Amino acid sequence: MASTACFVIVSKNDIPIYEAEVGSAPKKEDLSYHHQFILHAALDVVQDLAWTTNAMFLKSVDRFNDLVVSVYVTAGHTRFMLLHDSRSEDGIKSFFQEVHELYIKIFLNPLYLPGSRITSSHFDTKVRALARKYL
Amino acid sequence: MEPGLSIESGSAIRVAVLPVGGPIPPPRLREYAALVARHARVDLASLRTYYAEHQKSPFQHQPWETGCLRLKFVLGGCVPSPWEDFQSSRKVLAVIGICHLPSSPDLDRVAADFIDSARSYPSALANRCFAFCPTDAQLSGKKRDDIIMLPPSDQQSLELHMLTMIQDLAASLLMEFEKWVLRAESTGTILKTPLDSQSSLGSEEVIKAKKRRLGRAQKIIGDYCLLAGSPVDANAHYTTAIELARLTGDVFWHAGALEGSVCALVVDRMGQSDPVLEDEVKYRYYTIIQLYRRATLQDNAQRVSPVSFELEAALKLARYLCRQELAKEVSDLLMGAADGAKALIDASDRLILYIEIARLFGTLGYKRKAAFFSRQVAQLYLQQDNAYAAMSAMQVLTMTTNAYHVQSRKTMKMNHDLSKEPRAGNTDSGKVHPQSIVSLFESQWSTLQMVVLREILMSSIRAADPLSSWSAAARLLRSFYPLITPAGQSGLASSLANSADKLPTGTRCADPCLPFIRLHSFPLHPSQRDIVKRNPHKKEWWTGAGPSGPFIYTPFSKAGASGTSKQEVSWIVGEPVQVMVELANPCSFDLVVESIYLSVHSGNFDAFPVSVSLPPNTSKLVLLSGIPTKVGQISIPGCIVHCFGVITEHLFKEVDCLLLGAAQGLVLSDPFRCCGSSKFKSVNFPSISVVPPLPLLVANVVGGDGSILLYEGEIRDVLITLTNAGTVPAEEANVALSGKNQDSVISIAHSTWKSALPIKPGGEVTFAVTLRAWHLSSADLETDGSRSPANSRRIAREGINPFLDIHYAGPAANLENGDVSLPPGRRLVVPLNICVVQGMRLVRARLLSMEIPARFTETHLKPVSGEDINLLKIDPYKGSWGLRLLELELFNPTDVVFDVDVAVHLDDADVDQEVISEGDAACHKTRIDRDYSARVLIPLENFKLPVLDASFFVKESSSDEPLGSRAAAIAERNAKAELNASINNLISKIKVKWHSGRNSSGELNIKDAIQAALQASIMDILLPDPLTFSFKLAKNGTVINDDSSKDFGSVLRCKDPISAHEMTHMEVQIRNNTKEIIQMNLSISCKDVAGENCFDENSATVLWAGVLSDIHLEVPPLQEVIHPFSMYFLVPGDYSLQAASVIIDATDVLRARAKAESPDEPILCRGSPFHIRVVGTA
Repeated sequence: MASTACFVIVSKNDIPIYEAEVGSAPKKEDLSYHHQFILHAALDVVQDLAWTTNAMFLKSVDRFNDLVVSVYVTAGHTRFMLLHDSRSEDGIKSFFQEVHELYIKIFLNPLYLPGSRITSSHFDTKVRALARKYL
Repeated sequence: MEPGLSIESGSAIRVAVLPVGGPIPPPRLREYAALVARHARVDLASLRTYYAEHQKSPFQHQPWETGCLRLKFVLGGCVPSPWEDFQSSRKVLAVIGICHLPSSPDLDRVAADFIDSARSYPSALANRCFAFCPTDAQLSGKKRDDIIMLPPSDQQSLELHMLTMIQDLAASLLMEFEKWVLRAESTGTILKTPLDSQSSLGSEEVIKAKKRRLGRAQKIIGDYCLLAGSPVDANAHYTTAIELARLTGDVFWHAGALEGSVCALVVDRMGQSDPVLEDEVKYRYYTIIQLYRRATLQDNAQRVSPVSFELEAALKLARYLCRQELAKEVSDLLMGAADGAKALIDASDRLILYIEIARLFGTLGYKRKAAFFSRQVAQLYLQQDNAYAAMSAMQVLTMTTNAYHVQSRKTMKMNHDLSKEPRAGNTDSGKVHPQSIVSLFESQWSTLQMVVLREILMSSIRAADPLSSWSAAARLLRSFYPLITPAGQSGLASSLANSADKLPTGTRCADPCLPFIRLHSFPLHPSQRDIVKRNPHKKEWWTGAGPSGPFIYTPFSKAGASGTSKQEVSWIVGEPVQVMVELANPCSFDLVVESIYLSVHSGNFDAFPVSVSLPPNTSKLVLLSGIPTKVGQISIPGCIVHCFGVITEHLFKEVDCLLLGAAQGLVLSDPFRCCGSSKFKSVNFPSISVVPPLPLLVANVVGGDGSILLYEGEIRDVLITLTNAGTVPAEEANVALSGKNQDSVISIAHSTWKSALPIKPGGEVTFAVTLRAWHLSSADLETDGSRSPANSRRIAREGINPFLDIHYAGPAANLENGDVSLPPGRRLVVPLNICVVQGMRLVRARLLSMEIPARFTETHLKPVSGEDINLLKIDPYKGSWGLRLLELELFNPTDVVFDVDVAVHLDDADVDQEVISEGDAACHKTRIDRDYSARVLIPLENFKLPVLDASFFVKESSSDEPLGSRAAAIAERNAKAELNASINNLISKIKVKWHSGRNSSGELNIKDAIQAALQASIMDILLPDPLTFSFKLAKNGTVINDDSSKDFGSVLRCKDPISAHEMTHMEVQIRNNTKEIIQMNLSISCKDVAGENCFDENSATVLWAGVLSDIHLEVPPLQEVIHPFSMYFLVPGDYSLQAASVIIDATDVLRARAKAESPDEPILCRGSPFHIRVVGTA
């Protein structure tokens, strides 16, 4: 498992609708927002890159210092962004694919307004479990 | 590292611009520097006049026609770089002094000062000192060579002057370059970089350096060629240098020369975009970067690292390629450069690197990336502990706010004016698609936003910029209060207060802080509500435009008239108006709003400020008022709030958007709901137009505006004063009644107010309205349990009062084009607050029957006169057998004294029957004190009908016939109506009037009570007996004629009643009150006081003559029959005579009247006893 990882789902309106610190390193308040800053900045790169490929998994698109941003873009242009320091690309890909399935389940909920925050605790637990499994 | 580097920057001549002499005011300095800096490019062609070729120029391929010199002005100079020798463009090659002469009068000192400061730039090849704004004395003085004075003149000639000076400077620089190159070519120079100086010890190194010297010299000569504007020459030298450097393994200089050659290439092809050139540049630069990296690796052990050159090269290439199409490549380059930041030792180098990266990302359109690196820059600035760094940090962070969507409204206004418009239209339409709501809240990275704002706040506090810190704290608090702990909120509040302390009072800030303000409602001022649009086609203009046809709804009427959701409101110039807003303080500290008032941009409104204090987590409704001052449209976008020492404008629309987002769960929290306020309800702002002044009538009820206290049935005049409080005369008016209990208004003095029209401003008219209090219903009485006035006031409920509707209007205005415009009219509603309190109460009404025998007494024999005020008049000859009295028991529960008059109005038709009855005025007054009751007796004798008619008994007769026909039913109905009419007639004749105090008077409503009392015995009262008997004394024993009524008076004058032992002639008069002949057996009896029959045959005390029993009489209808007889009284005393008759063959009518139960029952008729007093001796 990666020592540092921050997972964020960004809606197509560029609003973060789900955030989770999934690293094994002890949490620090200032670091977590530092991670978000990096992820936020990486959106610019994703924005261009997403249209150059057919693949949903964009691999690592951006980096800052030794942290790498991997991105997975769904068909609805929702972006799963993972900030990590490990290099296991396959694990990350599987992680994204499984989270995508979870996300689709959330999306199918008629009470969920697309583009709004994901507040389901079930989703959160599942995502964290996936993170432990793959990262 | 140096900021702002590009590939071409190798060709720029660095010129230091230094302020010299006395202090120069900053705006002046800026102006002078701008004057100098305009000439960053000097065409070679223009230098011809200043250029003198002393020897053969080394720049053989100089493009005199097309080429130019590039000057890079550095204001304030710069520190000499240790790498000057490596890149000549880093050298300061010229120094320009700027002097503001009014602040430094001594020219010698200026000259000395300039020389001093120029000394710190040993590499400078030319110096100039420009002195601006010389005085006349300075101008007229000795002309100096070392100071060039620019006499004051207009901007254009000053610019021309400056151009000449710069061209001169450029020409001399060019000549110096030639000299330098020639010298370098002939003698050679020692060129060192910090890399070399570190390794100068070993002898091997020295030999190596000698070998390399030639190549390095070529590279420098190339640099100078480039500076001199001759890229072709430069390229030649660079090519040599590259060859030499490659041979000698001088990696660093190899890279430098290569870089120079690219620069020469680019400058040569300036302005051409050529993919081949671009590829070439790219290829060479990647080589350069590789070479620098190699140099870095080689010299890794050394303290001075040339890594910055590698990064600079990367940045230069990135800048060269910086286009949208190549975004990927550029961002790779920049990310690579960013990775290099760790290798940089100097913090300021890192700063410059990040600044450049941020700038390039910004140029590329990667706003978020740029913001990210800007924030890194700001953090580096914040690591330096000084105010200037903090200021820079603050400014850099302010630039990032756009990307993080936390920008100040000031900048947002400029940027988003256009983009906001369609959105505003979308929200106005009411129904908003959820998706578009989501788009309103794009990029809400709240964590990042908070961090950025907090950093801005921190840096602005450190930079001592109170306004910025106020603004940042305000944005932080307003947008993110739910994410901030109560302690944090208080901290922000105190930092707001601290910032405000440092600001001058009345400072305005674009960013609103607390409280949240939303439009609550639009309470109409009473005077506003009553504006009535005039219908020009009707005389009664207030009734509105009626439907055009016979139908209530016409489909052809104007569609917009009723369907518009946006209501319109008219405000009147000079009349105060009100708007209700709701303030919310969702934070955990007490919020004091020093003043809040409506913000109006149209400039025709005077708003009145109010101050509000909001405890933690509360909301409050506040009424804001103001006065429109000019005719036109008014739009109120929000409120101006003076809170935390700063004036801000709060827009309603923003809060509406926020609430919309909160309703969808997109925003953190709804500030109003968390304060316990009601649910979000969007209030449309009506379109407000201000109309010219209208007359304004104010009504005033004379004697106080409280309710008019009236006792039940009281009649009173109320005076109403109308005052025109407006500035326009009221020219027309109409007074009408509306509301409930309209019949309580008896009359309105219309003529009074009509004569007062037009009512001028300030004028007033008073008119009377006559009121009669209505009667309280039993329900009212029950609620009025106690008698205290406070309780009685409760009865004056809403909605039971009548209103005076006064419609009035001012004069019609003449428009410029000759048309007449009708200003709207107004309506004034004057409620007549009538409070009816219970007056005298009728406790009980009952009927008393009084049987008074007829008698001869002195009193009755008095002559009848008009002054007789006795109400009760009994015919002494008939007695009052069957007289009934109506007893009214009245109770006075009030605090005042009542005088009661009972009056019985008689019709003219009754005069012949009862002459002696009098009008109401003649009655006695009965006074009833408070808490006392009194009884009033009303005789009902005078109401008997003259004829006993069969019609009254139709009911009974029909009940006898079970098979009643329809005709009978109709007859019954008629008869009933007739009966009711006669009962009502009877009741209406009785009036009980009261007076209380000086001006209270009224009438008691006793109709129902009387009716109830009379119901049982109405027949007895109304109907006469079938036969009436009366006794009379007959004179001389002769029978008096039927018309004896004429002699009636003489009989009464008999003084002496009757004496014993004397023959008394008497007669009994029998009247038939029916319409049929009655046959009967009459008998007359006489009784003494003991009740003994005096006509007893055995022991008679009275002797008689004539028939006294079993007299068969036949009385024709409505006629009288007289039966005479004589009596001789033996014993004096009191006797009573009574006539009785048994009717033979009685009709049904008579039976009904007598209430006979069986048809066989004999019908007996009796007259009232006749009292006789017999005097004399026994």
